[in-house]
This record gives sequence, structure tokens and C-alpha cells, in this order.
Amino acid sequence: MATKDIQLPELGEGVTEGELVKWLVKPGDKIKADQTIAEMMTDKATVEVPTPSAGVVKELKAKEGAVVEVGQVLIVIDTDGAAANVAATAPAPTAQASAPAPGAKSAPAPQAQPALAAKTNGGGRGLDVYPPPAENRVLATPATRRLAREMGVDINQMLGSGIAGRVTREDVSRSGAGATQAGIPSFPTVARGLPAGPIEERVAIRGIRKKIAENMQLSKHIIPHITLGDEANITALVNLREELKVQSEKTGVKITYLPFVMKALLASLREFPMLNASIDDAAQEIVYKKYFNIGFAADTPNGLVVPVIKNADQKTILQLGKEIVELGRKARDGKLSLDEMRGATITITNIGSIGSTFATPIINHPEVAILGMYRIQDKPVVKKGENGKLELDVMKVMNFTVTCDHRLIDGAVAARFLAAFIGRIENPGVLMLDMM
Amino acid sequence: MAQDFDVVVVGAGPGGYVAAIRSAQLGKKTAIIEREYIGGVCLNVGCIPSKAMISAGHFLHRLETQAPEMGFTVKGISHDMGQTQKWKQGVCDRMAGGVEQLLKGNGVTIIRGEAQFKTANELTVKVKAGATESVTAKNFILATGSRPIEIPGFAFDEKLVLSSTGALALGEAPESLIVIGGGYIGLEIGGMYANFGSKVTVVEAQKTLLAGLADPECVQVVQRRMKKSGIEFVMEAKAKSWTKSGSGAEVTLEVGSNGTVKEQKLKGDKILVTVGRKPNSDQAGLKAIGLEIDARGFVKVNAQRRTSIPHIFAIGDIACQPMLAHKASYEGVLVAEVIAGQNRAYDVKTVPSVIFVDPEIASAGWTEEEAKSNGHPDLKVGKFPFAANGRAVSLMETDGFVKMIADAKTGILLGVHIVGPEASNLISEAALAIEMGARLEDVALTIHPHPTLGETMMEAAEASLGHAIHIIQKPLSAKLGASGARATV
Repeated sequence: MATKDIQLPELGEGVTEGELVKWLVKPGDKIKADQTIAEMMTDKATVEVPTPSAGVVKELKAKEGAVVEVGQVLIVIDTDGAAANVAATAPAPTAQASAPAPGAKSAPAPQAQPALAAKTNGGGRGLDVYPPPAENRVLATPATRRLAREMGVDINQMLGSGIAGRVTREDVSRSGAGATQAGIPSFPTVARGLPAGPIEERVAIRGIRKKIAENMQLSKHIIPHITLGDEANITALVNLREELKVQSEKTGVKITYLPFVMKALLASLREFPMLNASIDDAAQEIVYKKYFNIGFAADTPNGLVVPVIKNADQKTILQLGKEIVELGRKARDGKLSLDEMRGATITITNIGSIGSTFATPIINHPEVAILGMYRIQDKPVVKKGENGKLELDVMKVMNFTVTCDHRLIDGAVAARFLAAFIGRIENPGVLMLDMM
Repeated sequence: MAQDFDVVVVGAGPGGYVAAIRSAQLGKKTAIIEREYIGGVCLNVGCIPSKAMISAGHFLHRLETQAPEMGFTVKGISHDMGQTQKWKQGVCDRMAGGVEQLLKGNGVTIIRGEAQFKTANELTVKVKAGATESVTAKNFILATGSRPIEIPGFAFDEKLVLSSTGALALGEAPESLIVIGGGYIGLEIGGMYANFGSKVTVVEAQKTLLAGLADPECVQVVQRRMKKSGIEFVMEAKAKSWTKSGSGAEVTLEVGSNGTVKEQKLKGDKILVTVGRKPNSDQAGLKAIGLEIDARGFVKVNAQRRTSIPHIFAIGDIACQPMLAHKASYEGVLVAEVIAGQNRAYDVKTVPSVIFVDPEIASAGWTEEEAKSNGHPDLKVGKFPFAANGRAVSLMETDGFVKMIADAKTGILLGVHIVGPEASNLISEAALAIEMGARLEDVALTIHPHPTLGETMMEAAEASLGHAIHIIQKPLSAKLGASGARATV
């Protein structure tokens, strides 16, 4: 009887280990090549681990919750001829099983391929594309597949209304519209009264929650936080966005305030490079970044994740808007790649979209600053009237906070930065001057 | 001073030049760097010249074998290979010239020279001896292709030991030719020289020809026809070494599978080695800038053909299988659009493939075996022979068939395999049908014009459904209820 050790494959660039969240197979199971056998947690992403070979599972070499290193044996399988044959001719266990494209017939046998590479259609780990290409079972014309991609809809997840489950153009259009509305976060409901049974429940801290806990603790432990806040009159921005909304929606992108805030932030960072930096704790050096990658905090069913818009300074407001929607959707679906959550030079937290007017955010270590934006409110504001008399007016107002690493950024610098930022966000026309 | 561009394409083959044109169309300041020929291997020493030579060989063959039956008396045919070469070169020059016009017309800067990455953001191009230019860009597209694999002891000298490039440039047909490697390039060129009168022997390491490249039944038809035209095959044989013998060569083979290996010697005027192609990923400094390259030599890419360095893309033979010009062109358009900010990915159901042997083989989608192992246990398979098609008979090209494979439950088309006249021109309909998710009825109910070879597609679909008109199948009534029954031809 031939047995084979299946090791944990590489999970992404620079990732050396992962936490085993869940086994998807058990001893005795027949598995096919490329079948997903376990879910692993790395950094902030959950990764599906496939097996490169077919066979029968003999032994699971790790327990759920254990940390497994890349290259360590994960399972032992029996690759006996008979067992492997049965597995190979059995119908696909789920519709999700990915098979090579019909045309890729000259590719070598699946056993010879690194399984993770096969999933990304030809290698390039950590470079996942969203939406993923259509699987073989998907029935849709090439033009419909392209429409789905352009609308950011994963056609693999759709139930087609046509003959034999064919996904039609109309199916995609409908699904795209629904997806944009689904951007409204849902509020968790709390049961009233005490439930029957034990009055406490113990749950292991695992997966994303564990990572969040570690990161927050690290940041608060290392960084002396200082938070400054101010109020901005964003009436002009609200009007501008109303105007552009119609225009942008023609291109299928729903523009929120976040891309404008990013643009004002970018212009201000150029003036204050100290905020687009990090501290190399080990070397005791300040690292000034000449590139601008903006992270934005995203609320997901599993907890906080921070997708990153790379080279945000080279993107238009429309491009930023589109990327925010796409990354946000992926974050909610747990489909962000590691690369999409790495390399931020500064972060924005938009707690205002849920409703608060003020918070003291925690810096995403090793960054040195985080910008907070809050709920828009109608407020009475004193302004100078025609005769120089003071008058009351109703204005759209948003609070902003900047939280800094006081080791590097003094309160005075932070205050000047915040004033510069607010100067821009109150007069969005000024942003034109910074446009590229 | 470095020249700066939005997009720089390295390699002007069918992937690279298409990427450059689309990139320029999308308003990007684009340059293309080429060290040898505009149009790459495909237009200069690959697809196009080989098809020209194959056409010429076929023409001669028809003149000799078919013309008399049609009533011609053809006496004293003489053939001047030098003129054939000249004509072939004219075909290539015309096509390559057309590509250069298109590049210029779209405002693409053409830089001739060998490119070398200095950093991930800068290339130096050796434009002539001692002179280099520096080129920088926001995005690079690698389209540097592949080259023939050499086997130990058989270094190409292009005099006695030929690669495909040398074999397409011979001044006269060799008396005898030993072809090492029974893949599609070896069979195409071997078949071509057989038509020109060479004594051709094909040496293949596997048990079958075109292993894994074509439907086995299609291969049988071709092998039978090749044997008839005098080509010999030595199967399960490995070429070990060669020595000079007179003006030609003697090759030593090891023939047989494990245990019963025998040595055999073969004499020939020339040796053609076609055992495959390998990606050119060991050139242009790709490793030095840290690009990830897999064990088979392909630059690692994702579904958008982005490499491990995000602003560098790779397409065509250097990126992944299948190494086919039309796949490279598709990727060229794809990558140009990705760089222009559009959401695109390699998202196709099939890459059709064509083998220009005699008769031609073409396929799209899966073989029966592949369909079964991909979750379609019950199939409907139908075949329609060219012998029952009026146009094929009037062309005197009756060998071969169209085979259609569909899921038995849904009738959705999974694969089409053609061996026969103009198979290469017929397969596009099959590729479209598969991409559209067509069912057998969709093909059967589309009126195909008479009298054409294309009618065989409609008839093969009908045969899969059990009721083709121009072949005898069992009565419909007997078939009702017999699900997944295989049509008998």
C-alpha cells in the first residue's frame, strides 16, 4: 500500500505558517487531486488548502487550532492504485471543484502541478483576481461573462435563470444592482432576556478575531497614541458629490465620500510626509514612504479587516470609488488576498457610515497615523452675512480625527496637518490644484 | 537619457504586437522591443512559413496523385525548391511588413535590439554592437516566447541536425529525413517533406503519436494516411547519439520499453529534432529582477497575466500552456486592457488547436476521456464521416470525420474533434458553440449551406442525437429511452 505525505503548500508570498481553522476531510475519505482539504488562517485571510494528489485520507497530522508551518506534513494519504482510480472517476463532489480549462489539455497531469497555482489559472500565488474566472460548469456566453466581471459580480456564485442553469445578461444586471445595495451594513440583533441553558458560553479566540486581538494589543503596547479632532463644514463637498453622483453612476460606480477624503488626505500627506511614514522599531529608524497606499477599515461578519488601495495617488476619484466597492465586497465575502491587505502607508476609518460622531481609533502598526471620519450632521453655524453681521446658517458638518504616533508626530504637527486637511475637504475645488 | 513609456512590450510575436497595438489604441504611450523579427517565430520561422511550405507540398502531391483521375495528364513535373523558398519568404515578408505598418500606424515606437532588465523598472536595449539605449516604463509586457528544446548529443547545427527553423529553410528536399519527436511540429514538417519526395522516418518516445495533443481516433486516421504515403514510424524509441555517415548521419536509437530495450541504427541525410519548445525565461535578466519562475520555466502569472512583480505582465509561450499563437494574441489584448484599468481576466472555455498534418486535425474542448474525468459520466458521442459529404468527395478528400461529444443529460457541447479536409477552418464554429454553451440541437438546427464541408458539423450534431440523415443509424423509435446511447456510424 503506497502512502504519501501531503505537506502544507506555500500560502502566499512571505507567509511561513498558518493556523488550521477547520478540516474539510476525515480519515477514510476519498479525495481527488485539487480538492480542498482544510481551511487555514494566515495574517488576515482564510485560505483553502487543496491536495495535489488523489487518494484516501489515512491520517490527519494536525489538530484544528494548531499552527502549521509551510512544508510541514498536513495529512497522510493512501495513493493505492485502486483507491486513486475510484476517486478519479467519481463525479465531482461539489460544484466548486475546479477543473482545468478544456483547452488546457497539454498541461501536465494534475499531480505534477502545484495545486495552489492551478487555482489561479497558471500560477502567481497571492495575486488572485476578482471576480475569479468562470468555472467550466458555468454556462454563459463570453459577452455575459465579461459583463459580470465589469460589474464585479462573481458569476460562479450565480444561479442562472436560463435553460440548464444558463446565466443570462439579465441575471447579471439584476445581481449587480442588488450587490450595490447590499453595501449597507446590517446591525447585529441582541436577544432580549436571558436564554435558557448556561448563562455563559466559552468560545476559543481564533482566526480573524485572534489576529485583530494581537494587532490591537501590539499597537497599543508600542505606540503612544494622541488623537486630535475638529469639525469641518462639508456643504460644498456634499453638493459636489450630489452633482458627480449622477455622472459616476452612469459608469456603474456608486461614489461615496471616502474617495474625496482620500484625495484630500493624499494632498495633505505630500505637505506632511511625516504622516506617511513608519517606525522601524528594531532599527530605531524612521521610514519615510515615497508611495501612497491607503488602507480603509472594513466591517465584515468575521470582524475588522483593512483592505489597501495601492498607489492611491495615481488613481482618479472614479477609480478609487470603484476599487473601494470591489475591495469592500471582497472583504465581506472573506475573499481578500493577503496582498490586498498589505503594505498600507496610512489608514482611514469611516465609522461615520455606521453612525458615530467621534472616536479614538487605534493606529494600524507600523503606520504612524489613522484618519477618522464620522457621521454627517446638519448643524447651525455662525457665519458672516452681507453687512458684516454675524448670522446663523444650517450647514453640513462632519467631524474628523487624526490619531498619531506621538514618538514621531507632536501635537502641534498633528494639529497643523488636521487644519490643512480640513482646509481641503471644506473647499473641494482646491483639490483640483493637486490633481494629476 | 532613458526613453519613458506607459507600456513597453518585449517581443513582437503574435502576443507582443497585438498587446502593443491594443495598448496604443487605448491611448497609452507604447513601445515594442524586438531583437530579431517583427512578427516573431510565428510569422517568420513558424506558423506562416510552415503553412506555405505545407501548401506547396500538398499542391505537388495532388498534382501527382489526384490530377490524373480528374482527367489531367501531367508530364515531367519539375520542382525548384529554391523558388519555393523564395515564394515562402515573400509570404513571410508580406505578413511581417503588414504588422510593422500596423504598429507604426497606431503610433507604437519600434525599438530593434536585445532587451535586458537592469531593474524592475528599467531596460537596456542593445541596439547595435557597443550601443545601448535605456528604456523605462510604468508597465512592461513580457512576450519573449519560446525556443526549440535540444536533446543531449543533438545540438542544432542547422546543417545536419535541424530545428524547425532550419528545416523550413532547406534549399532542396533531403533524400531522407529522420524526424525525432512525433509531436505536431515533427509530423507537419515530416509530412511536408514526404510530399516533396523525401524518405521520412519518425522516431517517437511514446507508444502513440501526438500523445495528449489530439483525439486518439483522429490520430489513427492521420497515421494510416502517413504510412500509405511511405512515412515509417519507430515507436517507443529514444535517440541516443549520432555520427557522420557519408554526407548524412547515422542515428543510434534505443527501442522498446523497460526490460526489452534494443539498439537500432537509422541512416538519413538530415535529422530534424522536434521534441518540444521551452520558454525563454532564462533570458533578458528576468531571474535577476526577482520574477518568480516555475519548475517548467514558465513565468508565474495570475488570471490577468500579472507576474509576481505587479507592474510586469507575461503573455504567450513564456507564461503558460498551451503554447499557441492565438492564445498569446488573446492574452495580448487582455493585458493591454488590464493596464488601461479595465477589469479583464483569462476567462475562456477552450483554446482550439490545429495540427496541419494530412489530413488536418483540429479540436476544441474535451476528449471523451477528459469529459468523463471532469464530471460528465454520461456522454452522447456522434461521428460523421467526410466520405458522406458531397463537397469532400468532389475535393477528393474523403478521409476523416467530425466527432461531437456532449453531456447526455443536458446536450451541452463539451468537445469537437475533426480530422479531415479544412479541419482547421471548420473548428472555429465548434469553438464558438462551446463558448456560447450551445447544445447539440443548437448546432443541428442551424442551417448549414450546401454543398460545403461545414455540413459535417450539423450532421455530426444530428448523429450525436441519434438521427443523422446521410448515414444509416438505427431507427429513432428503437433509440427512444436509450439514454446516453452512443451513435453507431
